Amino acid sequence: MTHRSRLAGQIPLLSLIVLCAVTALLTDRFVSPLNLTNILVQSSIMAVIAMGMTFVIVGGGFDLSVGSTAALAGCVAAMVMLEAGITVGVIAGIIAGALVGLANGLVIAFLNVNAFITTLGTMVLVRGIVFLLTGGAPVSGETGLPGEFIAFGSERLFGIHYLVWAPMLLLAMLSFVLQATPYGRRVYATGGGREAAYLSGVPVRRVIASTYVWCGALAGIAGVMLAARLQSGQPTAGEFYELTAIAAVVLGGASLHGGEGTLYKSVIGVFIMIVLGNALNLLNVDSYWQRVAVGAVIIAAAAAERLRSEH
Amino acid sequence: MENSLGHRVIAASSGGLPVVRADAICKRFDATIALDAVDFDVRPGEIHAIVGENGAGKSTLIRILGGVHRPDGGRIFVSGKPCAFASPHEAIAAGIVTIPQELRLVPALSVAENVALGVLPVRRLGPIALLNRTRMREQARAVLEQLDFHADVRRPVASFGFAERQLVAIAKGLCRESRVFILDEPTAPLEKREVERLFSVLQRMKEQGTAIVFISHQLHEVVAMADRCTVLRDGRVAAISRRGAFSVTDLVGAMTGRSVENIEPVAAVRGETVMATRPDSITRLELRAGEVIGLAGLLGSGADRMLRRIFGIEEPIEVETRGGGRSFKNPRDAIAAGIGMVPGERTRGLVMNQSVRDNILLPNLDILSRIGWLDRKAGDRMVMALMDLIDIRPRAPKLKVHTLSGGNQQKVILAKWLAREIAVLLLEEPTQGIDVAAKAQIHALIRNFARRGGAALVNSSDLGELARLCDAILPVRRDRIVGRLDRAQGLDERELRAAIGG
Repeated sequence: MTHRSRLAGQIPLLSLIVLCAVTALLTDRFVSPLNLTNILVQSSIMAVIAMGMTFVIVGGGFDLSVGSTAALAGCVAAMVMLEAGITVGVIAGIIAGALVGLANGLVIAFLNVNAFITTLGTMVLVRGIVFLLTGGAPVSGETGLPGEFIAFGSERLFGIHYLVWAPMLLLAMLSFVLQATPYGRRVYATGGGREAAYLSGVPVRRVIASTYVWCGALAGIAGVMLAARLQSGQPTAGEFYELTAIAAVVLGGASLHGGEGTLYKSVIGVFIMIVLGNALNLLNVDSYWQRVAVGAVIIAAAAAERLRSEH
Repeated sequence: MENSLGHRVIAASSGGLPVVRADAICKRFDATIALDAVDFDVRPGEIHAIVGENGAGKSTLIRILGGVHRPDGGRIFVSGKPCAFASPHEAIAAGIVTIPQELRLVPALSVAENVALGVLPVRRLGPIALLNRTRMREQARAVLEQLDFHADVRRPVASFGFAERQLVAIAKGLCRESRVFILDEPTAPLEKREVERLFSVLQRMKEQGTAIVFISHQLHEVVAMADRCTVLRDGRVAAISRRGAFSVTDLVGAMTGRSVENIEPVAAVRGETVMATRPDSITRLELRAGEVIGLAGLLGSGADRMLRRIFGIEEPIEVETRGGGRSFKNPRDAIAAGIGMVPGERTRGLVMNQSVRDNILLPNLDILSRIGWLDRKAGDRMVMALMDLIDIRPRAPKLKVHTLSGGNQQKVILAKWLAREIAVLLLEEPTQGIDVAAKAQIHALIRNFARRGGAALVNSSDLGELARLCDAILPVRRDRIVGRLDRAQGLDERELRAAIGG
């Protein structure tokens, strides 16, 4: 591996550092503890979704349904929690997410339906189910969700929000799964060359389906975290999360052709998205212009990835 | 003189100036020299065949003539004027049409649209150009009738078989009034009757003054059809001769550069049977430890399919291995039973955007797994040992495989299987498109694998390669093995060709 390509692999991290440095120079408010905490908490939920998205994209797929899945998981968790307690509620929410992922995975891997269309369908379908379940109203019961659950969404451990601990633990565990287990290497091989992986004895359909299960389960965890933060199951929660997550994964250097990308870099991608939004806010940039800027950054990152891979 | 089509008939063959002439063309890809000072020309009303073994440079030559590649040295003249094509589009504009094996038609569009694509007849309404559908259909119908192809031109191309699509591709070229047609193995996917029809079409085009270049592995077709034949070997012109001055045997000799007889005999150590098809099976196949067996057959004979069927990719054949008798439903089952496969296309054998290391380890992850995770150090040792053993260059396991040369890529695919103790190695076209030196190394690796007690089953369209490499060759027709030619009785290429029906 050459010096140059090793440097190219660190572009997302370098971009994030430059972005933070420039913002810190332009405004004092950026480095205030309140603002930094705010960035961490905002990033935490998106980071969990982006990790799931990384599994799917490394495996050569795509998932648009994560935002709806997060909303479903949050509402299911809240509803079950009111009846059966926190633990059962949380587990039910995560299972709901995993089931959506399983449905996506089975249709895409075993019926060979295009991933974009399949997950576009489940995105709409799952959102419909959420509205049917909740009647369109937030789920918080008459006396609100259990206090301990709400505390998880706002309190800290060793000075760091519980919401921030969650993605840190997940990042460590899941990086191990993707990098150091035979299963993880098979995900990369399947995404990078499905036919070659198949001829090398990889059960490619099962591997592909499994990436969607990870993605759904992680969207479920994110949905539960979101419910804790919002102190209710919100049927409209998580809209456009899929787009931010995909953008973050691509900003982190993953290839939409599959076989490339790491969880850690996807999390860096999430930070770039969140810090960029935060910086534009602090600098009082008009919110319409903010959208233009974020869109341009996504396209620039994708173009840079193309140029890099052609050399 | 005018013929029925209203074209003026140009005095056929050898008379006129070359319509295309390539002068000392050189082309290299990284370290591989594909073409080394190759001269080539074709005249109006001439059929010029190009033959050669795989990797001899045939495809590179026609890609240069067709504007796909640019030569590193040498010049191309069209009707005496020097030309440098920057793209296939410019070659087409100069009147040179290439018809590749995959034809490149738009399956969803109608025959008429495909024929007219590029020169669509339009009706102008001020600044707006409208497609003149009626004229487009008439045009297409007229051209196709010249080719004896009478069908509804409104039907989509997808609804026709290969032979008809091929005529559509030719019609597309005729519609542009092209002067040179280059066909890459046009007869390979055709049945006998379709081949005859194609040849009568080409014959008529030739009589109308069109220059035709074609690549073929069917040497008897070349002898029957070509006015001239250029034999390429390892990127050089090995021979060029006129009609009547060459026979199939001459061509084979020029292609391989050696006669089949003078090969060092291989000590045949036949061990126990490691794989066999069921006794009641229609395809009798038995592999013993220490053997390299070839499967030879024409395209469509099923010789290539047989390997995929054993490996569980296509309709499985029941085979007996040491683990008992069964058919493999997928490659995973076959690998578990001690069988490995080197596919014909390297993109099917390798995950191109991943490292040499990851590719070698891919089928061996189960061996390296320690209660759920990978033993990284054992993996590194395995990879380095294999890279040394079979000389993969450069010795950089983290390099992505797409940066390697074709020969080294092929060695990586072999390394994947040599890492584990497999009993049987199935190889499709093991040396297609790689240079001579790497070719010899791959052959040695296959022989070594057998010497250490493995059994290899090789399919190759290059009969010379099979004759050099194998202990015995099994001719295949219609998905059946129809005989056995042993090295002990001398492997004669002509006999082999007769056995496969070529």
